[in-house]
Amino acid sequence: MSVPLSQMWAIASYVIRQKLAGRERYPLVLMLEPLFRCNLACAGCGKIQYPAQILRKHLTVEQCLAAVDECDPPVVSIPGGEPLMYPEIGPLVKALVARKKYVYLCTNAILLKQKLEAGLFEPSKYFSFSVHLDGLRAEHDEAVCRDGVYVDAVEGIKEALRRGFRVTTNSTLFDGADALRMREFFDTMMDLGVEGMMISPGYSYSKAPDQEHFLRTQRAHDLFSTLLSNPKRRWKFNQSPLFLQFLMGKRDFECTPWGNPTYNVFGWQRPCYLMQEGYAASFKELLETTRWENYGRSSGNEKCRDCMVHCGYEPSAVHHTFASWRGFRDTVQATVTGRF
Amino acid sequence: MTDGAALEGWTPEIGKGVPLEEVIDKAFDYRGNVTVVKTDGSETVGYVFNRNRDVAVPFVQMFDADGAGPISIRYADIRTIRFTGRDTAAGSSYAAWLRAKEAAKTAQHPEKGSDPAPSRGA
Repeated sequence: MSVPLSQMWAIASYVIRQKLAGRERYPLVLMLEPLFRCNLACAGCGKIQYPAQILRKHLTVEQCLAAVDECDPPVVSIPGGEPLMYPEIGPLVKALVARKKYVYLCTNAILLKQKLEAGLFEPSKYFSFSVHLDGLRAEHDEAVCRDGVYVDAVEGIKEALRRGFRVTTNSTLFDGADALRMREFFDTMMDLGVEGMMISPGYSYSKAPDQEHFLRTQRAHDLFSTLLSNPKRRWKFNQSPLFLQFLMGKRDFECTPWGNPTYNVFGWQRPCYLMQEGYAASFKELLETTRWENYGRSSGNEKCRDCMVHCGYEPSAVHHTFASWRGFRDTVQATVTGRF
Repeated sequence: MTDGAALEGWTPEIGKGVPLEEVIDKAFDYRGNVTVVKTDGSETVGYVFNRNRDVAVPFVQMFDADGAGPISIRYADIRTIRFTGRDTAAGSSYAAWLRAKEAAKTAQHPEKGSDPAPSRGA
């Protein structure tokens, strides 16, 4: 089990409260993008292709906190862009932790050691670095289109762990990923001492430079089955085991696009973290005016057909856990046994 | 890959089989600056990040070239949109990376000639 009990309890009690309140749509994780600027230009990323004046913009801490307060999820993920390039990242994290939000700072970790040495952050059970690593050295450096990034990231992880921070990893898998090398990667991360790992297939961003290697559904099932069908006991995943079973093709879920809403310099992104079909001025407007029936596999929307990404399907898995005793039992069973 | 490269430099004339709504949709999808020409003849250069025609008064939203905004402009006030800025999604940094790796390999092992390009994530 890699998610701390207090965090599991916070999420479980939150979901139960939403269900008791009869809320059909509620957020689990706010994807808070304070800026689009990044110090990498990864092949599979479609997040950073903007004119210079947009890349120079960033949210104020007040704007970030207003979004968090309106949405009020139990977990806040801070991706970007590279959040360690956000000038107010220290105060933002501090304010979120003070609100008892579980914060995942998603970073490529190039600047991590430097920012830790500058004393920007304090360890907390509410705060975790989620370091982007798409595999071992060769695979990761190729994925981010720059040599040496893996080594920097590992140095950053070691420094963060030495200072008592929670550290997880997040890995995006593309077509051609070598399951055996990824299993080696899992071993390496566990040896480093990270708390848990998150894995997901990549989404075929229309704006990403590399369009050839996004996983289609069946190939994704094959890859994740090979990867996870015989998991080592020591591997810890910082995500729902039912979502992992979904990736393996053992379960079928429908997308929950409102589960991980996205807020950035443009506003509340419709309909989800991956697709940009417009923006709403408030979270309420996002929930009430987005045509949710147009999204997800059953909608027939071409852009959703092969998507299996965590931001749409992990909320579905969490919802399933609390939708029935069977879902709860299956989650507990997979968590305790470590088998998917 | 985006069709943005094909849009770069496009100066559509609205009306001749090119509806304004379609041009606005393309401007919204375009990852570069555009020039919005209004019916009063004034122009605004910037990035169109939002458009909404599912409301009583359809509008676009943009940040100008200095990053000021958001500026809202009604569909009814737009004469046309020119795709004047560079499409930032048109370049292929991944292809450039593969070429650089290939060149480095060839420089290290000239006797082997050109190895096949590495497969993504392999």
